[in-house]
Amino acid sequence: MNTMSTMDAMNRTAAGTMRASGAVLSIRELGHVFIAKDGTARKVLDGLTLEIGAGEIASIVGRSGAGKTTLFNLISGLLRPSAGRIEIGDPGTGATGFVAYMLQKDLLLPWRTVLQNALLGVELRGAVTEEHRASAETMLARYGLGAHLGAYPAALSGGQRQRVALTRTLLTAPTILLLDEPFSALDYETRLMLEDDVLALRADRGISIILVTHDIEEAIALGNRVVVLGGQPGKIIEDISVVLTTAGRRDAVSAREAPEFRAYHRRIWAALRGGA
Amino acid sequence: MLVIAAWQACASLGLINGHLLGSPAGVLASAVTGLRDGSLGANSAVTLYETVAGLAIGSIAGTACGLLLWFVPKISRPAEGLSILLNGVPKIALGPLIVIWFGSGTSSKIWLAAVSTYAVAMISATAAVRELDRDLINLFRTLGARRWAMLRRLILPSALPWIFSALRMNIGFALIGAVVGEYIASQNGLGHEIFVAGSLFDLNTVWLGIIVLTMMAMLLTAFVRLIEERLIRWKTGP
Repeated sequence: MNTMSTMDAMNRTAAGTMRASGAVLSIRELGHVFIAKDGTARKVLDGLTLEIGAGEIASIVGRSGAGKTTLFNLISGLLRPSAGRIEIGDPGTGATGFVAYMLQKDLLLPWRTVLQNALLGVELRGAVTEEHRASAETMLARYGLGAHLGAYPAALSGGQRQRVALTRTLLTAPTILLLDEPFSALDYETRLMLEDDVLALRADRGISIILVTHDIEEAIALGNRVVVLGGQPGKIIEDISVVLTTAGRRDAVSAREAPEFRAYHRRIWAALRGGA
Repeated sequence: MLVIAAWQACASLGLINGHLLGSPAGVLASAVTGLRDGSLGANSAVTLYETVAGLAIGSIAGTACGLLLWFVPKISRPAEGLSILLNGVPKIALGPLIVIWFGSGTSSKIWLAAVSTYAVAMISATAAVRELDRDLINLFRTLGARRWAMLRRLILPSALPWIFSALRMNIGFALIGAVVGEYIASQNGLGHEIFVAGSLFDLNTVWLGIIVLTMMAMLLTAFVRLIEERLIRWKTGP
């Protein structure tokens, strides 16, 4: 118990030093308890403290049941935490934030066309303007969907559908993007392409991204930080900042070829096994 | 065709009793008479009106109840149980009550048809809401959708296939409701015509009524399918 909290404190400082600007998300002493139908309580998360800086990509890895999805449901406001606080936005500058959530399932509405699906989020948050429509078309065209604006989702491949979902998410202009294993149902090639899309988001728009994945390689390739969740209830076992030496621009492939890659892999794998 | 020809041949040759079974020629003669004096058209119009009005009222009310239950999850289960119970009640048994309450005019037939279709529409709509992907609801919530927006943009469109399959099933139930209502007490309508003709052993007119009712059911089904294909175009592609 004691060693655990010291470790948490160390991790927090480590994360603190690498943050360039203010935090866009602060989670303090977060705990969550599920009450089952028979009245028994199950603690899923306990005393979780985490800060995400602007423009950071934090990968969260952990075994199933470590509370990853619960953490996302708490951040996105679908669940109310039993304990602790979640602050979105930067209290220093007073900037507010908006969290967008993307799942493994693309959740496109089958009765809407590609363009209508992409505009769903905007539509639900207010009126759709010509500007919105234009930026949706531009974004879809960049993702190779320019010829499919009027198509229904049933006519698209898995990768194309996920890109429409990504467009829908981005058009709401989020400051924080939560990705819950969004690429795990895709084939390897499509997955690498979408990973590049995510890396580009950070470079072009400075969106902070939290990625939940069970794939250690994906966690390292995308994250500038890997947070290992483990234990029952879930806690942060390790918070590793990832620095990769890549030839040229860092992308899904060059990141995997970095000399440091294997060492990070080994370290995360050890943390996952140790934290079980 | 062959059956009709054989039937006519047997009736003409006296192999079967034309009075107890009717004959195609007799049905035709009865149709011509009915068309000439306008009674066939008038009676068909009355029954069609009762059926369509009852179907509309029952389907709209049932679907609305089923979908709106989403707003109040607490009473959703008991209400669904109640609608299943209502579905089990033979609606024909309610006929006399409805005729007493609403009189022997068209309104009692409309209500009987409406009661006959309400339960199926409601059970179907409740199921549609229950089968909805929870992640879709969560997506709408994280996008900041209000409840009415969710009903309009998510729940209603995803329930459409269910609503239409219930509607197609209900065409038959609505016809039964209208015709049975006419059997019980009426001055006109195809049910009235069949009932009166039956008691007079005019089997040709009975057959004619059955044929027209069947055509009416087919027509309504085709019409509903047409609307369905227009509204659920995404299933067949653009």
